[in-house]
Amino acid sequence: MKNTKRLNWFLIGSMVIFPLMAYFHLSIGEIQINFSDLKNSIFSYDAQNTAQLLAHEFRFPRLIMACVAGAGLSLAGMLMQTLFNNPLAGPYVLGVNSGASLMVAISLLTGIQFFGTNLGLISAALIGAFAAGMLMMSVTSFLKSQVSLLLVGLMFGSFTSAIVSFLEVSSKAEQLKSFTLWSMGSLQNVLLEQIPLILFFFLIGIVLSALIVKPLNLLVIGENAASLLGIKIQQTRIVILVITALLTGLITAFCGPIAFVGLAVPNITRILLKTQNHSQLILGNLIIGSTFLVACDTFIQYLESSVQLPINVLTSLIGAPFVIIVLIRRTK
Amino acid sequence: MIRFQQIQIGYKHSLISIDNLELESSAIYALVGRNGSGKSTFLKTITGQTSLLGGNLEIDFRSSKEVKADELSRIISFVESKFDGVSFLSVENYLALGRAPYTNALGRLSTKDWAIVHEVAEEMGLTQFLEKDTINLSDGERQLCAIARALVQQTPILLLDEPTAFLDYANKQLLMDKLLHIAKEKQKCIIFSTHDLDLCIENKIEFIALKNKTLEKAKGFTKLELISLLEEKG
Repeated sequence: MKNTKRLNWFLIGSMVIFPLMAYFHLSIGEIQINFSDLKNSIFSYDAQNTAQLLAHEFRFPRLIMACVAGAGLSLAGMLMQTLFNNPLAGPYVLGVNSGASLMVAISLLTGIQFFGTNLGLISAALIGAFAAGMLMMSVTSFLKSQVSLLLVGLMFGSFTSAIVSFLEVSSKAEQLKSFTLWSMGSLQNVLLEQIPLILFFFLIGIVLSALIVKPLNLLVIGENAASLLGIKIQQTRIVILVITALLTGLITAFCGPIAFVGLAVPNITRILLKTQNHSQLILGNLIIGSTFLVACDTFIQYLESSVQLPINVLTSLIGAPFVIIVLIRRTK
Repeated sequence: MIRFQQIQIGYKHSLISIDNLELESSAIYALVGRNGSGKSTFLKTITGQTSLLGGNLEIDFRSSKEVKADELSRIISFVESKFDGVSFLSVENYLALGRAPYTNALGRLSTKDWAIVHEVAEEMGLTQFLEKDTINLSDGERQLCAIARALVQQTPILLLDEPTAFLDYANKQLLMDKLLHIAKEKQKCIIFSTHDLDLCIENKIEFIALKNKTLEKAKGFTKLELISLLEEKG
């Protein structure tokens, strides 16, 4: 019962912090946008007004993308941590991102026609993420320790980045430029017209996650124990694979690789909510993940007039030390 | 409760063959055998995780082939040799997981389910730990929790894989007392694998000895007789 109280406080807190962060994100930048222009850009949009145009065409899509990316990667991270019973798992560490990146590199750098289109880029990323996820899942059955799983993920990451480097040196200047821009990672490349598609995939991910709350709650005590309590492990694994590949692939296609969000946020969520109830954890990850990435991106926007900081740089700066802290806490 | 007839157990080749063995309810059996004799494989056969190479296995008076996987979780509960605890998982919520075979797809427990959880917690003397995090318990307390979790599952058969392996002597005896009590009071068929021969002999527990690729019941044996039985080469 104590736990519901904690959740209520958390929800009240986030109802204050999230809108505040979102407002900062929308208004701060090279050009400041005031509240009435933000309001008008939705309710009585006037494309002639520069501030409104900026808010409508760029700031709002960017805010939504930040929310989707933060929430989606955190959700994917939580699913992988529960499935592998490992708090250091995540789409980036386990190479699901790398798979998506590799396929995007192939499509952008080799200029294969099918992948040249917008939809082609997304499907390339999805295929890559799915294949990498499949690979990691089949590898786990041969691994005894949790650390080896992370090592395999890292090795897979190095392997794919070697292939990407090889593609880079042998590609044309123009292709190289577009790939480099993509790989820096950014939330600002998304267009207003793409938002419905992104939200659609994102919602599928959330709905599927909500459907497997019971298996997730049981996986916490181990696959063997869960299966003896009547959980269909194979089926659950496949659903988790589909969700993580879908979310990671989608987000990687639009924003480039974003490191550590999927690893750090699920840990923060568990520490804040002090629960292993996944219906609460899913909600918590969505809220904290989106708030976290919106906050990071607000900071990037704030610095934009002096320096163009890729989102991946900022999340790594925060995330890498965080992983070390988690490791130290665990070995104590 | 459990009946083995002409059974061959193994992965590709037969590891254990059992001609005829019947295990009853309201009884408790200690499964003994040297390392690598196939104790875990034997337990996994009952839980359906290792498929039979041949023969007929009857569980709860039905052929094991007819029992579906989700039904099995209402007939057999299993306690692993060690539960390490999970951070942020309270004892109460851990025990509640034992109701999973009875809850719907969303896994929400009814008031009746919670009543069972609390009743079992009281029987096992865990009421004061309910709010506690499962990683902050001692090994002995955690083992009692794991057994309580299995009891919450309300199955006629309870299997335990070396439940005393990580316990000190007082906790070993406490665990034996609990198991003996449960078997009698709740008419359960309890099977546990162990290397603690003294403990079982003191508590007059019936042995099932695994040796020479076969199983036999051994009752009222002394320690020396039992050891030489297990040593015997075919």
